Amino acid sequence: MVERRVTVKNRLGLHARAAAQLVRTASEFQSIVRLERADGSAAADAKSILSVLMLAACCGTELRIMADGVDEERAISALEALFQTGFGESDPQV
Amino acid sequence: MERRWRGLGVSTGIAIGRVLRIHSGAHYIYRAVLDEADVEKELRRFRAAVRLARRQLLAIKGRAERELGPEHAYIFDAHLLMLEDSKLLEEVEAYIKRERVNAEWAVKVVGDRLLAIYAEIKDEYLRERGSDIEDVVRRLLVALSGAGERARKLTEDAIIVAEDLLPSAAAELDFARVRALVADVGGWTSHTAIIARGLGIPAVVGVRDLYRRARTGDLIIVDASRHEVILHPTETTLERYQQLVARQPDLSPLDVSNEPLLTLDGAEITLRANLELPAEYEGVRRYGAQGIGLYRSEFLWSRHNGQPTEEEQYAVYVEIAELAGPYGAMVRLFDVGGDKIKARGAERNPALGLRGIRFCLRHEEILRTQMRAVLRAAARGHLNVVLPMVSDLVEIRRARAILEEERQRLQREGKAFGPVRLGAMIEVPSAVLMAEKLASEADFFSLGTNDLVQYLLAVDRSNDQVAEWFRSLHPAVLRSIHRTLEAARAASIPAVVCGEMAATPAYAVVLVGLGARDLSMTASSIPRVRRTLRHIEVRRAREIALESVGCATADEVEELIRQRLAEAWPELFPPNALPAPKNAQ
Repeated sequence: MVERRVTVKNRLGLHARAAAQLVRTASEFQSIVRLERADGSAAADAKSILSVLMLAACCGTELRIMADGVDEERAISALEALFQTGFGESDPQV
Repeated sequence: MERRWRGLGVSTGIAIGRVLRIHSGAHYIYRAVLDEADVEKELRRFRAAVRLARRQLLAIKGRAERELGPEHAYIFDAHLLMLEDSKLLEEVEAYIKRERVNAEWAVKVVGDRLLAIYAEIKDEYLRERGSDIEDVVRRLLVALSGAGERARKLTEDAIIVAEDLLPSAAAELDFARVRALVADVGGWTSHTAIIARGLGIPAVVGVRDLYRRARTGDLIIVDASRHEVILHPTETTLERYQQLVARQPDLSPLDVSNEPLLTLDGAEITLRANLELPAEYEGVRRYGAQGIGLYRSEFLWSRHNGQPTEEEQYAVYVEIAELAGPYGAMVRLFDVGGDKIKARGAERNPALGLRGIRFCLRHEEILRTQMRAVLRAAARGHLNVVLPMVSDLVEIRRARAILEEERQRLQREGKAFGPVRLGAMIEVPSAVLMAEKLASEADFFSLGTNDLVQYLLAVDRSNDQVAEWFRSLHPAVLRSIHRTLEAARAASIPAVVCGEMAATPAYAVVLVGLGARDLSMTASSIPRVRRTLRHIEVRRAREIALESVGCATADEVEELIRQRLAEAWPELFPPNALPAPKNAQ
């Protein structure tokens, strides 16, 4: 099993769009992927959007990603990249 | 009997029509206990409903992508994932088996449990997303009831009334025929509001209890400008509103002709369209815009989920150039923040951070790619670029050098390209103060009044706490606009005023009085502004504008303009026709 710490950086947090991206990405891998609040107060199955949304991870939340399985390294890197790029979001400035 | 509701107008305009109620979920769900033998059948019925809901969602998603852009379609991707989510499906199936109940009841119970957990979430934005779960649950219940979502048969004068217009219901509507939207709940940023503004139709939200009282077919008036909804209007009310509507944009072919717009004393005024979403393209043609005064190219980032390639941009810019025709289009360079590209900590103050031209110059490759795409597309039509958030002359010089280098590179590569002029957005106080110098090196000015007000008055537009300080008619704003337009005139360069201020007829008159001859706005506002400007004299507008520049406060300006416009053109500006002061809401 591998584990990484990440911080939610996008302004709106893990809302529907970001969560959808996360779930789509996690589902590409065979490994079991879990997310956990760094303080251990809640955990989620990264392949379930409802579960991810229930984490209520707003901007600034620290999370642990844990992957366990044959492709765990690739899975965890892919997810880490999503967090680092803030899910490709921008603040709309009209 | 006539009844009035006050809500929040989230777009502008007035519509008269017939109520069409859209059901948004509160079905009466019954509980039925099944025989052991029927449980398997019930599970199959549930799975079939899931498949049906899934097909509907895929269709809606495709439609939303085409008509509103991917930024509005992503939500349906989340809905699709919820439909596949084991947390929902397995729990519903388990509940059916364990309790031996009908699928409707199981969906309701499991859905309510999920929603209850959601309601506990502290972050407001995330908590509001509970409406997505509600939407999916509702869709499943409708699918279970056998009928697919009935195609919405809309009459020509349909006014949608809903408790809460859920995203998928909104996307299923036949937009072309909807006259107005009304919802019991929602705010300025709700989906209903965004869609209404994109379509240029009136919408009022937060109209408590209207849904319960209105019946499909009832006569209703929606006045978004005055934040009001009137059900069962009396004859008198109806007549008064019919007159008001008659004074609204006349969409007859005569009114949208591309003939030059002349004021009564013969000044020619150009009205262009601001553009962002593909759904707005149609409006550019329909409302007779003279080209595109502002294309917000950063939309392409959300469409492509990151930086668009040169070819992707090229294709869009060619399309924009064709749409704009002989009047041309001003492509504003990506006005994005640093968060688009790097995993850097969120900026503490993005409005004052790395955005606009600063971002473009910091990420020069992105800028070069965009310049190349515009130069190439300019071979197929008239295109110009505008630099967002210019605060220093050096930025114009650097951008021009890069434009020139890319032009030469295309020439060496033997690729076709066309002439591209380089304009500067004037929206930062330093640019206003230095306007004479900037005018000597920019090919044209583009005045972004929204940001100008924000930066000049130090008011965050998205912060409700300071909303009353956001005054478009503050004397400091009028002086800045006046000064900028004078600088452009002295340097003989064109200046387009492209903030939403231009979309309100009364403000448009003031802008013309300050010297503006070229205005750009949401396409649907063009006919209304054209109709007004055609009936005024620039000479008088100028007297009024110059008088208002001398006022001491925004209140004074608003009162002065209200009075003077009514005196000068009583038929255009009857006492109630002017926008209520912001504070009066």
